[in-house]
Amino acid sequence: MKIQDIINGILNGDRRSIARAISIVEDDEMVIEASEIIKGIYNQTGRAHVIGITGPPGIGKSTMIGRLARVLSDGNKKVSVIAVDASSPFSGGSLLGNRIRMQESLTENGIFMRSLANRGMNGGLSRSTWDAVKILDAAGNDYIIIETVGAGQADLDIVDLADTVIVVLGPGLGDEIQAIKAGIMEIGDIFIVNKMDRDGSFLAMKDIQDSLAMTPQKEWKVPVIGLDSLKGKGYDELVSEITKHGVFNTSRPNIRLDRFKKEVEMALQAEIRRQYLLEARELISKKDAIARLSEEKIDPYSAAMKILKSGKTGL
Amino acid sequence: MDGKNLSLFKDKPIKVLLAKPGIDGHDRGVLVLAKAFRDAGMEVLYAGLLPTPEEVVDTAINEDVDVIALSLLNGAHLTVFRKISELLKKRGIDDIAVVGGGTIPDGDKPKLEKLGITGNYGPGTPLSTIVDHITARASEARSRKMQ
Repeated sequence: MKIQDIINGILNGDRRSIARAISIVEDDEMVIEASEIIKGIYNQTGRAHVIGITGPPGIGKSTMIGRLARVLSDGNKKVSVIAVDASSPFSGGSLLGNRIRMQESLTENGIFMRSLANRGMNGGLSRSTWDAVKILDAAGNDYIIIETVGAGQADLDIVDLADTVIVVLGPGLGDEIQAIKAGIMEIGDIFIVNKMDRDGSFLAMKDIQDSLAMTPQKEWKVPVIGLDSLKGKGYDELVSEITKHGVFNTSRPNIRLDRFKKEVEMALQAEIRRQYLLEARELISKKDAIARLSEEKIDPYSAAMKILKSGKTGL
Repeated sequence: MDGKNLSLFKDKPIKVLLAKPGIDGHDRGVLVLAKAFRDAGMEVLYAGLLPTPEEVVDTAINEDVDVIALSLLNGAHLTVFRKISELLKKRGIDDIAVVGGGTIPDGDKPKLEKLGITGNYGPGTPLSTIVDHITARASEARSRKMQ
């Protein structure tokens, strides 16, 4: 597939083009093609409502997304889902299992869903998630739902990417809510207690409300919603809060500016890394030079600085 | 095959969709494979139990996988594997490789090969043989994607 065909395909909502484009932005070796695609579609982006879903592993995020995607799609909106899963730091491989929990609604409502492995990136997302969102945005989606890697305190990248961050918790976390509150309790625009059919779910809601009550009040009042994702209870309230938050966001022009800033920073990092890696690999591959530095017992930091300063001219 | 992706996160990992289309709930084998493929550095999707051939093909397209790996132990491979290869053809897809496995009689293997469905390994096959075969078919599919 040619890049221009892919771009046209994305703008026409063609799934194969969208899928291929996401593969290209995932591929570190195809930075140039990826930037061409993003350039080609950029003026068609910025219309989708990006919903980020995060929370600890096993709390029911995927099942909940299956439900939410279906409810939004039943309301005549175009919805796509991106689910990020962890790559093994040992083999580089990954089992992308989120799809299984939402397959039924994906099939019945014809919802596009893509699994991404985080490929070693910390923060709950993959490097490619930003571009994947742009591609789905340009393809005319009203809502893009992103599921992060089951997150702990430090996996907060979703804040930079999503218009609305939904934190999913559940009964039985008990004191763990205390443990995670430092990170995750500060990023939610909406809080969910999933598995409301289980014991202790009302206590969990109360815990979260108490915890939120202790954080400084902001303009947006953070709701805590109970969901029973097996029966589909509570989703009307969730959709209404998501819509409300979308309207609230229009009064915050900075959110787009902040995201743009983050994206430029990431693009800059990627480009510097790419250019630098090309040169650095070449320099480091000069065996005699490395051997000399090693013989002279120069420490790695000084050796790195030497390589940096010497540039292409060699050591 | 040492079970390791030496160039961790530098090369694009092989993406493979494991599926048991048709009415067959024997998923022990496919789950073992899922782990083996992951440990070989692949990105693995599992279509869950009882997906339709249409679901398998849709998933493969949306996820842009390199290989669809089908497993059946109920004897319906000639019907269902063929259906998948037909659906792919109908949608003009020639850059996703299809491999098979399960309890497939030797006599059926050439028929599947004719449809482009290779491997067709049975119980007792060493995991490394399967991983190597998938790796080879994936690089074929990749080279067609790049055209």
